[in-house]
Amino acid sequence: MIKKIKASTSEKVIFIFILVLGLFTLTSFLLLKDKCLFVKNYDPQKINFENPKNIAILNVGCGNVIIELYPEISPNGVERFTTLIKSKAYDDVAFHRVIKDKLVQAGDLEFGKKGNIDYGKIGTGKSGLGQIESEVDREFNYVRGSVGLARAKKYDTEDSQFFIILQDEPLYEGEYTPIGKVIYGIEVLEKIKYLDKSEYVLRPDFINSLRLLVN
Amino acid sequence: MKLFKFILLCLLLISAAQADTIYQLIKIPNLEIYNIKTENKLRYLYAKQPFTIGIDNNINCYTPSKQDLDKKYTIIEKNLNRYSKSFLKKINLKYIVLCEDLSISGIGTAGIPDNIMKTLILDIKFNEKYFERVIHHEVFHIINDTFKEIFDENTWSNFNPKEFNYAECSTCTKKIGLETYSNSNGFITEYSQSTASEDMAEVFSHLMYGSLPNKIDPILEKKIKFIKNALSKIDNDFIL
Repeated sequence: MIKKIKASTSEKVIFIFILVLGLFTLTSFLLLKDKCLFVKNYDPQKINFENPKNIAILNVGCGNVIIELYPEISPNGVERFTTLIKSKAYDDVAFHRVIKDKLVQAGDLEFGKKGNIDYGKIGTGKSGLGQIESEVDREFNYVRGSVGLARAKKYDTEDSQFFIILQDEPLYEGEYTPIGKVIYGIEVLEKIKYLDKSEYVLRPDFINSLRLLVN
Repeated sequence: MKLFKFILLCLLLISAAQADTIYQLIKIPNLEIYNIKTENKLRYLYAKQPFTIGIDNNINCYTPSKQDLDKKYTIIEKNLNRYSKSFLKKINLKYIVLCEDLSISGIGTAGIPDNIMKTLILDIKFNEKYFERVIHHEVFHIINDTFKEIFDENTWSNFNPKEFNYAECSTCTKKIGLETYSNSNGFITEYSQSTASEDMAEVFSHLMYGSLPNKIDPILEKKIKFIKNALSKIDNDFIL
């Protein structure tokens, strides 16, 4: 006759603990795998904009980033940006320079296109439209979400590359041409892939599309 | 000790690379904002820790005390406020770095101008007696470096007596006195005789500070006129 052995209280506690730990690990793994889980995706069609003509929608992995453009501050900079948006030039272009909690930069149309990335030259590519003059004389508060045109060391070398800052950068005023500000979806940009050791990203995230709300 | 080094190395390897905006802009580490809300848009920064820069790490400067910084900032700002936003933009000056015991290759200096990086490093502990005037002297080097063609050194040197020659460089001479001559004889201070560029900077700083000698000789007269003409070419509205 087989004698039935009853589990002791401590054995039951250990069993329950292991069970809970297993469930916790599994859930955490599933949650962590989806980096966009808690990121809100804004639908521009459901938002009323004061000036829809100046709205651009940047679509990336975790959703939409809605940018208000400031043509009255930087007319030439915004014109260049919208010209490239209209030609869909920014689609499939890498966020090649990303600094955690600080900025994301994209727009190298020559060396940053998906399937044609040149890691040796990325960040130096041109649009083919030529460089434009810096517009840095107007006052502009570079706060979190501000969008500016990137340039080489010298002024008047802006082309297609742009950056969005993820923290206030008061020293950027007078340095970079401001073209707009993110009004919805900045948290989407915090999920863009970055590296701890380098500003330049290997196997980077890409822009899915960049469009104007009103064409 | 080995364990300590190992732990330190591990910590360095796992710590994320932090981007420093000031370093990105002007390539000087360990700086902090002192004041950036100024009328002429000059940005004042200070050394929160000592820094070393230069091709051979030959430029050093140290952290000033808060008390010294506050005291000297008032003087520096008062003097630099005389340059308008538009003039500063033309000459390429935007960042003023405040630190103390500034030296280049071990030689103490009042300031290091860098018009490419739009930066002027100032030693806030430099000689009290000449401190204010020297601020303008250093600004002149920025002006001169940005407009080399306007401040032609050959034209300038021709003002001097034929037998006079400047030294090879500003640190290649023992003529470093900053006391204003009462009898100028073509030069305004001993340091004026070091190089053409230093001579111009001395004339400019005396003009700005309003400390010209009472008696101005014909050579110095020509030099003053040269500086005034050159400045009017850069900015007609510039007031000396």
